[in-house]
Amino acid sequence: MPEIILKNLTKTFGSVNAVDKLDLTIEDRDFVTLLGPSGCGKTTTLRMISGLETPTIGEISIGGKVVFSGEKQINLSPDKRDVGLLFQNYALWPHMTVYQNIAFGLENMKWSKEEIRKRVREMGDLVKISDLLDRYPSELSGGQQQRVAIARTLAPNPKVLLMDEPLSNLDAKLRMEMRAELKRLHREIESTVVYVTHDQLEAMTLATKVCLLEEGVLQQYAPPLVIYDQPSNVFVGDFIGNPSMNFLDATVKGAEKDGVSLETAELTMEMIFKSKEAEVKNGDEVIIGLRPEDITLNPYSGANSCVIYSTLPSGMETVVRAKIKNTMFSIVVFGRVDFVVDSKMEISFPSVNYLLFDKATKNKIGAGSLKLTE
Amino acid sequence: MKKLLNKLLGYLSKPEHAILILLLIILIYLTIVPLFYIGVDTFTVHSAEVRRIRGSSVGDFTTYHWEYVFKSAASDNLFYKPLINTLLVSIATCAFALIVGGFFAWMVTRTNLRFKKPISTMMLFPYIMPSWTLAMAWLNFFKNKSIGGVPGIFTALTGIETSDWFAYGFIPIVLVLGMHYAPFAFILIGGILRNMDANLEEAAVILKATRFRIIWKITVPIVMPAILSTFLLVFSSAMSAFAVPSFLGGPVRFQVLTTQLYRTINGVNPGAGYIIASFMIVVGVAILTINQLIIGKRKGFTTVTGKSGNISLVNLRKLRTPISSIMLVLLVAVAVIPLLTFAAQSFFVEPGNYSLSNPSTIFWTGEGSPDIANGEPGILKNKYVYQGLFNSFSLSIVVALIAGTVGILVGYSVAKTRGRFGSNMVDRLAFFPYLIPSMAFGAIYLSMFSVQRGFIPPLYGTFAILALVGSVKYLPFASRAGINAILQLGKEIEEAAIILGIRWWKRMVKIIIPIQKPTVISGYLLPFISSMRELALYILLVTPSTSILTTMLFKYNEKGWNQYANAIVLLIIGIVLVFNFVINKVTGASLDKGIGG
Repeated sequence: MPEIILKNLTKTFGSVNAVDKLDLTIEDRDFVTLLGPSGCGKTTTLRMISGLETPTIGEISIGGKVVFSGEKQINLSPDKRDVGLLFQNYALWPHMTVYQNIAFGLENMKWSKEEIRKRVREMGDLVKISDLLDRYPSELSGGQQQRVAIARTLAPNPKVLLMDEPLSNLDAKLRMEMRAELKRLHREIESTVVYVTHDQLEAMTLATKVCLLEEGVLQQYAPPLVIYDQPSNVFVGDFIGNPSMNFLDATVKGAEKDGVSLETAELTMEMIFKSKEAEVKNGDEVIIGLRPEDITLNPYSGANSCVIYSTLPSGMETVVRAKIKNTMFSIVVFGRVDFVVDSKMEISFPSVNYLLFDKATKNKIGAGSLKLTE
Repeated sequence: MKKLLNKLLGYLSKPEHAILILLLIILIYLTIVPLFYIGVDTFTVHSAEVRRIRGSSVGDFTTYHWEYVFKSAASDNLFYKPLINTLLVSIATCAFALIVGGFFAWMVTRTNLRFKKPISTMMLFPYIMPSWTLAMAWLNFFKNKSIGGVPGIFTALTGIETSDWFAYGFIPIVLVLGMHYAPFAFILIGGILRNMDANLEEAAVILKATRFRIIWKITVPIVMPAILSTFLLVFSSAMSAFAVPSFLGGPVRFQVLTTQLYRTINGVNPGAGYIIASFMIVVGVAILTINQLIIGKRKGFTTVTGKSGNISLVNLRKLRTPISSIMLVLLVAVAVIPLLTFAAQSFFVEPGNYSLSNPSTIFWTGEGSPDIANGEPGILKNKYVYQGLFNSFSLSIVVALIAGTVGILVGYSVAKTRGRFGSNMVDRLAFFPYLIPSMAFGAIYLSMFSVQRGFIPPLYGTFAILALVGSVKYLPFASRAGINAILQLGKEIEEAAIILGIRWWKRMVKIIIPIQKPTVISGYLLPFISSMRELALYILLVTPSTSILTTMLFKYNEKGWNQYANAIVLLIIGIVLVFNFVINKVTGASLDKGIGG
């Protein structure tokens, strides 16, 4: 069963650690997305799993077989790892027809002509390109090229599928469509998928588990909704979610067992913990994190007032920026609503998913409810 | 009527339109009209031919030339044999250049070869130097006694007499031309190999293809258009080469089309020469048109380049150091040793005597004595050499100024009116001279301007005709640079100035040219260098008073005044290298990255 285990995986280019001591277990039939800003080492990780890049130290095993080990001097070449790799730019061979592109891998495995023909047809049906088999890649649209690349990768039936930003060259609409199809495909072919992307929406919607990297270091490895609600540090909280999380610097005033009173530059607030991972004491510097959709705007009542600074209605939701005194919040209000700029509204915090981070380490302290106290 | 006039004036009020129309007229006159005159000349009796065509007088219509060239007793020696020689030389040169250049390119881009940097740099040397330098070096090394001269260095050192087939003719011509054009193949094929999306090969690795299968099924087919294109460019260059076959083939009467062209036009039958020139023009245009078609098709082969990581290099293992060293030594032998032989030869009084008592600076600074080379003074004291040097320099400067400036104008008007009929016409006309073999180009200008044409007086023997032919011939370099410069710029930059009401010439001088300085400068320097080392283009048009360094070199070589020839070679190479260095420094691009030639 293709379970992929990375142990202490490190890749150094010159003096830069592209990937730094990465430990990761990708379970059988998982759909794992490697997510992070560009240059965070996600593609390098993928290429190391495929065998195109040689790690500096560490160990990689696929399906219980060690394919790379710095210690034991093992380094299997890509063709012996039984992986499929989908490239960002598709890398279709321009001088071969669609049929020849898909058949190439099967020819290398010495399949018979008959078997190859059957398999290519099958693949053509799977990704809906059966009528394009005699064309050359330059005669196809971007979306069609993408499908051919998928068919070529799937044809030899690899146990592990590696995908390197496969949708980034498609337009927005097509990308949406292909996402749904990739997710469906993952169910049908029952293989393990490792998927590199810098698009958080893609990472969240496709994955069973998201692996978030920054500068070669693992930040968090968890299912999408866990990553969203319980980011392990400020970076994760900030990177995931659009519009981004609101952050407020604060100082701890009254620290009790299940709650704290917090003081920002202009506001005082009280947080009751729902969960807590670290202790806080009076005088600690912290950061409060609030998701924009966890803030609500109500008709003006006199208490907790804020002033609308700008509004961006899109029909499905409206992104609002509003100020309490001089502290700016971005707020998402769902539904077909709009607000009058410069009008007064009442602001409230009805959720229990507000976060508290340590300002020094940037790690999460806990989560809970929040209330303005004046 | 008035409406039409207004429309016309409105059209011409835009500078790009006015320039376009002007260029169209001038370029048609200088590139298309001469073809017509050379056609006429193939049916005309020239003064040198009055005696061989009975009862004719100068200017009569005749079909004698066509019959003489294609179906007479003399045809075999005059045309068919040289044609076959030309084809054989060109094909063999292509094969040699492609094998050597392609091998070096693959080694540098795909293996863990040592000394990659020095090898890549030195690989360009044989191309930067004029092609006849290697031919001269070959003669210095391997010439034998059979032409009544003195033995070369090889014979002097080893005592072994080189045989004719090795010293002269087909073999050395192919080796020298092949080595001269190998860098061309190296650049073109190496460029494709380097820029080729590494993912294409990696995709095959993942799909379990063997290394051999990857090269054969993926790499070679993708590089194929570049190989074909290289083949055609080298073929047409080899076909139009004059100096090399003349230096190396002359002693054994190995004739090719260009040497025949020179002999006939300079001799008793210019009409036949014009036919050979026309033939070469047709072949040259055909070959390079095919090449354009191939390059056009190649577009389908360039894919979106992604992040191509370093593809794994072939490990040469134990052979790494030996192969690297052999390649390096070979290149040193081809690139550096010839220069040493020129220096050495030019300091020996008695040719072939390499003993230590022999050296002297007589050929550099001597006053000239009657027993050596008709009393010709050493080249640093020789007024003809200074005259030639002066002519070469002034000619190349004038050519560079005209070609470079017209090139910018072509670039501007073509880029601004892109896609229109007139724009395409000017673009093609400005490129057309590139398709015509140099010597044939000289021939058509000889035919066109040796007599009065309208208000233009006969130009033969003047400096003007040299400047004219050079400017038009090298316009393609400058116009390519100009078109690229303006296209890269994008029209918004200029529009921003138009909005502010800044006039055209000021926009050019203050905005466009300064931004694209490197490209513009290379548009001036490329014609300069090319003109500096050109022989075939000018040889039919010079007269003693207008002779330039390269034609003097040719004359000295014909007379067997070796030391003078070698000294002049050194002089020209020095100038070319200095200016090539300047180009590299100024533009960051080099001659080798241009369209070649």
